[in-house]
Amino acid sequence: MLSFLSNFKHSQEMRESKDEILIGELVRAMSRLQAPAVGFYAGTGQQTIKFKPINDPVLNSVLLTVDRKTGGSALSQAVIGSKATVIIQAEVKNYLADPDDLIHMYKTDLANMFKIPMLGDTRLDHQLNSILATKKVLIDIDTYILKGEESANLTTQFLNGLLTELRQKLQPYKKG
Amino acid sequence: MSEEHDQIFVGLVKESWKHFNETLNNTRMDDLLVGAVITSMVEQGYALIDLNSDGTNHFLRFEWLQTKQRVIFQLRNLAEDLLTAKVMGRKANVTIGYGEVVQNTQAVFGALRAEVKSQYLDAGEPGVITCDADLTSGYIYVQVPLILDLDQYFGANWSVNSALLQKHIYATVQALAKYLRGRLSA
Repeated sequence: MLSFLSNFKHSQEMRESKDEILIGELVRAMSRLQAPAVGFYAGTGQQTIKFKPINDPVLNSVLLTVDRKTGGSALSQAVIGSKATVIIQAEVKNYLADPDDLIHMYKTDLANMFKIPMLGDTRLDHQLNSILATKKVLIDIDTYILKGEESANLTTQFLNGLLTELRQKLQPYKKG
Repeated sequence: MSEEHDQIFVGLVKESWKHFNETLNNTRMDDLLVGAVITSMVEQGYALIDLNSDGTNHFLRFEWLQTKQRVIFQLRNLAEDLLTAKVMGRKANVTIGYGEVVQNTQAVFGALRAEVKSQYLDAGEPGVITCDADLTSGYIYVQVPLILDLDQYFGANWSVNSALLQKHIYATVQALAKYLRGRLSA
């Protein structure tokens, strides 16, 4: 091969491409939700994509991680189907610099967060000036792919529901 | 520390965030392009079937699942450095390929013969259409390198002109498909 064709895995079967097809649907759905993809990170058996919600009053960024659980082989595909864990992490970033405001935030919001790190099935955490809400969902990949506009609508609804939930939980921590 | 000093400090931090974000946005331009290409292709009805990167180049492969027609991309940001982006504008090297399954191996070899003969030519020049084949999967591709001005697709505040990108990709894929069929029937 003369060109960049050698960079692709040519022998892979359709069931092995389901992760990528799902990634494509997630990127399209987030784009419809006014959050373009701004980062792609590939790990062993999982893909993480970073999105930037445009003009969102609360969220600064959203990370989606797709971790394929089953269906990589023909046998597990036939017996269990194609399941994946989708981990969604929404971030609020506070651009506080005033020392008085920072001290207040550390004494109230962040101290309270250590007392209740779980809100329902959502985990709250903070790193420097970011507050993070993380939720993990197990999905059947086949529900969200290969059905054209139906897949697009289902994926958009699924993600919109998760984002609304995380946004509500993070709203009290948005400052400034 | 007086209130006045607090305000000076707040101003310095705010200014720092502005510079930091400007640089960060520019280095993320290639990932923004990858995302925009995926969105455009999936909106057109293609399925993303492969996505990988060597750190500099990003490779995407899509398939129209009913007909098995494939479109491949190699994307490289030419202005990751902010100074280059400001002086030259934001540009990307984008190679687009179009492939079909071909049963007639003689036609494949016929189409490839010219490329093998001219392998010493610089096929990286924009607009030069070349043929290539993946004989294990039976696909033959034609591809063309382009240099695209990213400023026409990406505005301030991460906004994306998806309609224009979709139109440009569609026009390129149609031209490549026409060329491939012409070469195979020659």
